[in-house]
Amino acid sequence: MSGNELDAGREAFKEEAAELLSELELSLLDLEQHPTDDELIGRVFRAMHTIKGSGAMFGFDDIADFTHEVETAFDLVRMGKLAVSKELTNLTLRARDQIRTMIDASEGKASVDNAVTEDIVVSLQILIKVSDGTAEASDIAQTESAASEDKSLQATYRIKFKPFAELFTTGTNPVLLLNELRQMGTCNVIAQTDAIPPLEQFNPETCATYWDVIVTTTQDVNAIRDVFIFVDGMCELTIERIDDDLEYDDSEAGMKLGEILAERGDVKLDEVNSLLDGQKKVGQILVDAGMVDKGHIQAALAEQQQLKEIQEQRQKAASAASIRVASYRLDKLVDLVGELVTVQARLSQTAVVNGEATLTSIAEEVERLTWELRDSTMGIRMLPMGTTFSKFKRLVRDLSLDLGKEIQLATDGADTELDKTVIEKLSDPLVHIIRNSVDHGIEKPDVRFAAGKPRMGTVRLSAGHSGASVLIKIEDDGAGLDKDAILRKAIAKGLISNDAELSEKEIYGLIMLPGFSTSESVTSVSGRGVGMDVVKKNVDALRGSIDIKSKKGFGSTFILQLPLTLAIIDGLLVKVADDIFVIPLSVVEECVELTKADVEKMNDRHVSNVRGVLIPYIRLREHFSIDADDLETEQIVVTEVDDKKVGFVVDYVIGEHQTVIKSLGRMFREIEGVSGATILGDGTVALILDVPRLVNTVERDTPTRTVGV
Amino acid sequence: MDKVIMTVDDSASVRQMVAFTLKGAGYAVIQAVDGKDALAKLASEHIDMIITDLNMPNLDGIGLVKAVRGMPEHKFMPIIMVTTESQESKKLEGRAAGATGWIVKPFKPEQLMSVVRKVLG
Amino acid sequence: MSVSATVEPTQYLTFKLEEEVFALDIQKVREVLEFSSVTRVPRTPEFMRGVINLRGSVVPVVDLRLKFGMTHTEKTVNTCVIIVEVAFDNESMVLGALSDSVQEVIELEPQMIEQAPSIGMKLRTDFIKGMGKRDNEFMIILDIDKIFTVEELAFAQEAGQSAA
Repeated sequence: MSGNELDAGREAFKEEAAELLSELELSLLDLEQHPTDDELIGRVFRAMHTIKGSGAMFGFDDIADFTHEVETAFDLVRMGKLAVSKELTNLTLRARDQIRTMIDASEGKASVDNAVTEDIVVSLQILIKVSDGTAEASDIAQTESAASEDKSLQATYRIKFKPFAELFTTGTNPVLLLNELRQMGTCNVIAQTDAIPPLEQFNPETCATYWDVIVTTTQDVNAIRDVFIFVDGMCELTIERIDDDLEYDDSEAGMKLGEILAERGDVKLDEVNSLLDGQKKVGQILVDAGMVDKGHIQAALAEQQQLKEIQEQRQKAASAASIRVASYRLDKLVDLVGELVTVQARLSQTAVVNGEATLTSIAEEVERLTWELRDSTMGIRMLPMGTTFSKFKRLVRDLSLDLGKEIQLATDGADTELDKTVIEKLSDPLVHIIRNSVDHGIEKPDVRFAAGKPRMGTVRLSAGHSGASVLIKIEDDGAGLDKDAILRKAIAKGLISNDAELSEKEIYGLIMLPGFSTSESVTSVSGRGVGMDVVKKNVDALRGSIDIKSKKGFGSTFILQLPLTLAIIDGLLVKVADDIFVIPLSVVEECVELTKADVEKMNDRHVSNVRGVLIPYIRLREHFSIDADDLETEQIVVTEVDDKKVGFVVDYVIGEHQTVIKSLGRMFREIEGVSGATILGDGTVALILDVPRLVNTVERDTPTRTVGV
Repeated sequence: MDKVIMTVDDSASVRQMVAFTLKGAGYAVIQAVDGKDALAKLASEHIDMIITDLNMPNLDGIGLVKAVRGMPEHKFMPIIMVTTESQESKKLEGRAAGATGWIVKPFKPEQLMSVVRKVLG
Repeated sequence: MSVSATVEPTQYLTFKLEEEVFALDIQKVREVLEFSSVTRVPRTPEFMRGVINLRGSVVPVVDLRLKFGMTHTEKTVNTCVIIVEVAFDNESMVLGALSDSVQEVIELEPQMIEQAPSIGMKLRTDFIKGMGKRDNEFMIILDIDKIFTVEELAFAQEAGQSAA
């Protein structure tokens, strides 16, 4: 885990928290008006829950601890054990402001008044009359560590740690101290062995090794001293900052003498290089001369390397400076490009009809520019999935540490690109699912060992394209879902009746119902039943689906299927009676003809013989109940989704079309088989077919007729 | 195998707080009421680390550290002393006796955990 | 919500469905369009006539006549789409309502509005905000938000699906 990734995570958390906090404010104000509104109560609870969870993940322990108190209160409200009072909303609003201050404080923009924090916590505790110790004694005063972690405060230190020979007699293990340093940031440890005596004089109970460490960290020098606090007086320890004089942009100063001479025209660069090639490196010369031990050269090289990397990073940060753009502006831009694409289509059409040479060439130029503009605009919105992977690595690492488990996160498909909004909205669901896998899925090392599995459990997060959708899988090799336990729980919670007969899929589906949570205990890890129902809601909102597979003893797999909700796709326009539909080109394999004779040959079965391969098809006229006269010849658009080929019978194929996706709106959310609409060159609306869902619908409704052969 | 930590203190509440915290972090915990009890348990149980109070009846903390360091098999055992701030001199005495580190009372669970991680990993 | 309707005079847009006069709170009306072409959305209830292009946005169009148990709206020179903003599932949504002809914008004092009789209205009374009376003419003031509730649509969708 490098400091960079952590910083990115922290930034993300701050952003997310800011959003949640403003939402929270609104919810609280609403709640004052409608104190019994369960939806509002749930919203407040979830906002607190998310801030707490993410806060703990990125080391905002003060915020996490504080938020925990408020969350506890709202958990009681949720369970009907505490009523929403003016006092409670007041306190919560104050708490909300305090969290805001804590976040600002972490950026050095404000300072936290611990007395206020304390006061809110105590007042909340009085309010909920905590007596049973569910809310642990509040510890708050840890703001100083959070406040010091700012990218600009990152510094590089050279640490020389030479323990006295008798170090081991105090029970100290120096390796643990070095590990502690490694956790502080980018770290290079070089063990110096030149003081180790020859074997015959070697005493394994004394410490003869010493270490050179180069560490780049956001923590201050006192934090480094703290690492060595127990060995104070038992070692030689020097800590020096070595990157003080690194400039942000000193590329000139960084030039080598030879390069400078070459630039001044005094020598030719390749002459210098060939001279240098024949020369030994300074380090080698010194070692050869017996002046320096090899280990020291190694330490110096590591130092040089690390400083160089930091400098590069700084320069990169300075030059790759990005600007933040409010997402509504981006949405507006995409909308405008969409309009432009539509108009451009009309222009091209007109030019073709008109046939005038100048107009045609202008139309072509506009077309080229429009496409380029479209691609770069879309590019702005696309992010590789991998940008979020690091945060999950950290999550798994920290959670497994807390739970005393050994778990690694394997990732695959980091470069799978997804629309920015989709990635953002996926973050919460993925955190929940991964948490579940770590917390409930993967067993403790001993249990695993006893079951004949490796002690180290694996959570695999993979992303990839599948036709027009993106599949994200979260697999674990843990205990798998316990069907009986799920059923018992669902019955106990009154979610299903005692005698319900459910399929395996339906049973797994139960865990996504609101109010279902298999976790009995209240931990900062698994939460309190905010979980799979929220995950499902979020994924539904992205028009995606969740599939759960599990085998007891072998693990579980959560598969999220999400549409590639690009704002513009390449589509194939097809005509069905008077209607025009768009089929996403990404799933289209080929188009073939279907004559009446073909249909008769197959005895009216909805199957076509395409070069010896039988392909089932769906007649759109039938499926959409469109009445029109029969045609002698129709066309089949053969699509492939999930390795399944299915044809769609249309009157004829019009051609390709740059399709700007428009939402059909909330009213048509549940329409199966249509994923959106687009506006054609003549201003009319055409519907975009949701091919996978159409195939599913037809498979479900008429399993034997359509797909069976 | 979970690592085993022995908490030595004549105050049951301190022992419980330490035990609760450590168990929560996945360690096994053995409790001893004083130095003498600790030595007896050390003889019969496998123990990876000791966290001991200083002022105890029968055998005090410094005595315990010295006794443990005297045993060849426990020469390298990590031992943490629990001190109060007024006992600066005791800290040095403990260090001289061979304690690995110390923690100042009163402490919070996370402080305890960071000390344990530091010396036991 | 228009609790205020009983206090201040409110402007209403009146329109006809078959021979009956209806009225909508003008605050709910965004604009009135000529009815040209509509794209059908398969597997939706019959009263959902489809979608139209409203300056780059795709907007659903409903046939109020069908919704109110009258006959299918035929396209004539007077047919209009009234673009309204309704509350749907706690969010505001834009949709078009077909009308045979749009009449005028009128102002009604609160005392000119009566409670709708609970029987004999042919129409579900919860769709009706009240009965307006002006120059001896009665009009049905619609509560447009109530007409398109989530439950309504869910129910209609089931019906649409089983019919398809």
